Amino acid sequence: MARMKFLCDAERCIECNGCVTACKNTNEVPWGVNRRRVVTIDDGLPGERSISVACMHCSDAPCMAVCPVDCFYKSTDGVVLHDKDLCIGCGYCFYACPFGAPQFPQDGGFGLRGKMDKCTFCAGGPEPDGSEAEFRKYGENRLAQGKLPSCAEMCSTKALLGGDGDVIADIYRTRVLVRGKGSDVWGWGTAYGKPEKQAAPGGKS
Amino acid sequence: MSGVRRLLGGALLGLALVFPAGAGAFEQPFIPNPPTAVESAQVQRQEEQPLNNAPVWRDVRSGGVHITQARGVDTGVLIQSGGETWRALREGPISLYGGILLIAVPIILGLFYAWKGPMRVHGQLTGKMILRLTPWDRIIHWSVAITWLILAITGLILLFGKHVLLPVFGYTLFSWLAVAGKNLHNFTGPLFLVSMVAMFFTYLSRNLPEAGDGRWLAKVGGMFSGQHVPAGFFNAGEKIVFWLGLTLFGVVVSLSGLVLNFPNFDQGRELMQQAHLFHSITGILFMGLMMGHIYLGTIGVPGAYDAMRRDGLVDEAWAKEHHENWYNDVKAGKATHGAMADTAGGRAVPETSRA
Repeated sequence: MARMKFLCDAERCIECNGCVTACKNTNEVPWGVNRRRVVTIDDGLPGERSISVACMHCSDAPCMAVCPVDCFYKSTDGVVLHDKDLCIGCGYCFYACPFGAPQFPQDGGFGLRGKMDKCTFCAGGPEPDGSEAEFRKYGENRLAQGKLPSCAEMCSTKALLGGDGDVIADIYRTRVLVRGKGSDVWGWGTAYGKPEKQAAPGGKS
Repeated sequence: MSGVRRLLGGALLGLALVFPAGAGAFEQPFIPNPPTAVESAQVQRQEEQPLNNAPVWRDVRSGGVHITQARGVDTGVLIQSGGETWRALREGPISLYGGILLIAVPIILGLFYAWKGPMRVHGQLTGKMILRLTPWDRIIHWSVAITWLILAITGLILLFGKHVLLPVFGYTLFSWLAVAGKNLHNFTGPLFLVSMVAMFFTYLSRNLPEAGDGRWLAKVGGMFSGQHVPAGFFNAGEKIVFWLGLTLFGVVVSLSGLVLNFPNFDQGRELMQQAHLFHSITGILFMGLMMGHIYLGTIGVPGAYDAMRRDGLVDEAWAKEHHENWYNDVKAGKATHGAMADTAGGRAVPETSRA
């Protein structure tokens, strides 16, 4: 079975926000919810880097560990998904997540946040694959259609890779060898554990 | 009306075009902000070691705020590691030791009850009653007590329900329970805060330290020895409940609760993680302390519950047993709180004028 991961190549990301737009368009996410965002480090300086970040579908996912109603589950592809029917909107996943992935449609007083929403790796939710109910709550289930997440598919510079962790790590390794720089795989240490355990192509960050 | 406004607007626009007010601003040369130390270091590093990105990634790992188009709180942070600390503490020591404390305290109280039994009045009850607690005293106590109980139970559901109730109830039913619990907790919290403040001022004067508190504490009120230890309106143990429980724990849970309860003020995650740690640790300690208070207010000391629950009256013998100094003051007509009561009607009839 594949183990789905995201990898953002900071040497290639041009901060076009195409992935953000693709995500919003594909999944018709509610207003105010950003499942994916692009963050630019040292904006306007030499060595500026941009990173596209969303839920990384962590190996030992903090959101899963802290959820008081245990509404998270992991698909056979290693994608971290959640059941909005069980979610109580407490915000604990949002406290725990290092990447700021969990989003809430509201931030009302008395903790009225609504149901949590986050990147599903375009893999929908617990409803039947491709059903109307699944689309309404979670967006499109592209994995069930044999496609990869639309953010990565849409990326104009192929900076954002989404797919089987081994395959995208190989692609990245080849890139690093060819260009001779930029071996840092952003976020993998945090999301998937120590580099020596998961055979990442470069250092951790 | 709109025609006049359009005319005026047109005239103003024409004036603005003929005499540009900000014309001076265009003539000034563009002066960029001088580079900061961090920026200078970055520029220098890019010239000397163009392939060294390690400092950049270290900066990312430390939770620095960067540039992003996504609106919202903390969206410019790539990795915020405080959540992992929060998770480790909540799922680790707080759940473990908190759980042990909340199981151990009732067991200890049960064992104590089995060993010593209730603290009864030595000798006979007189049937002559003293008004100990006014209706307002009781209303404010139960406002705090009921809101506190709701908060404690719903809080426990959110912390331990996953381990204890979920396996029994199943996912759907437990989720309903948790939603109800969460909303009850969030709406009751501010009510608790208001009641708590009112209770603090209502009971403050009776909880100031007095002579004899030290002696009472040294003997733990004679709980183990069975010895008689005189006390004022409230004994030193009750004063600890007031100052440590109601005041200190109450203020900490209320303030941290407000931070968590109102995300609409755009506070960041880090503050909420810290507030949550304070909230859960203090909440558990509060529950442990209040278990002792509830024990002593019900089965531990017969007569105490009646005074708070029914008519606020206590028997003279009870007063002499548990609060002798206060009893003497009431008898002498010097007590600021409490008075001799007419037993038939249960109404307070002060024998002497109050101090």
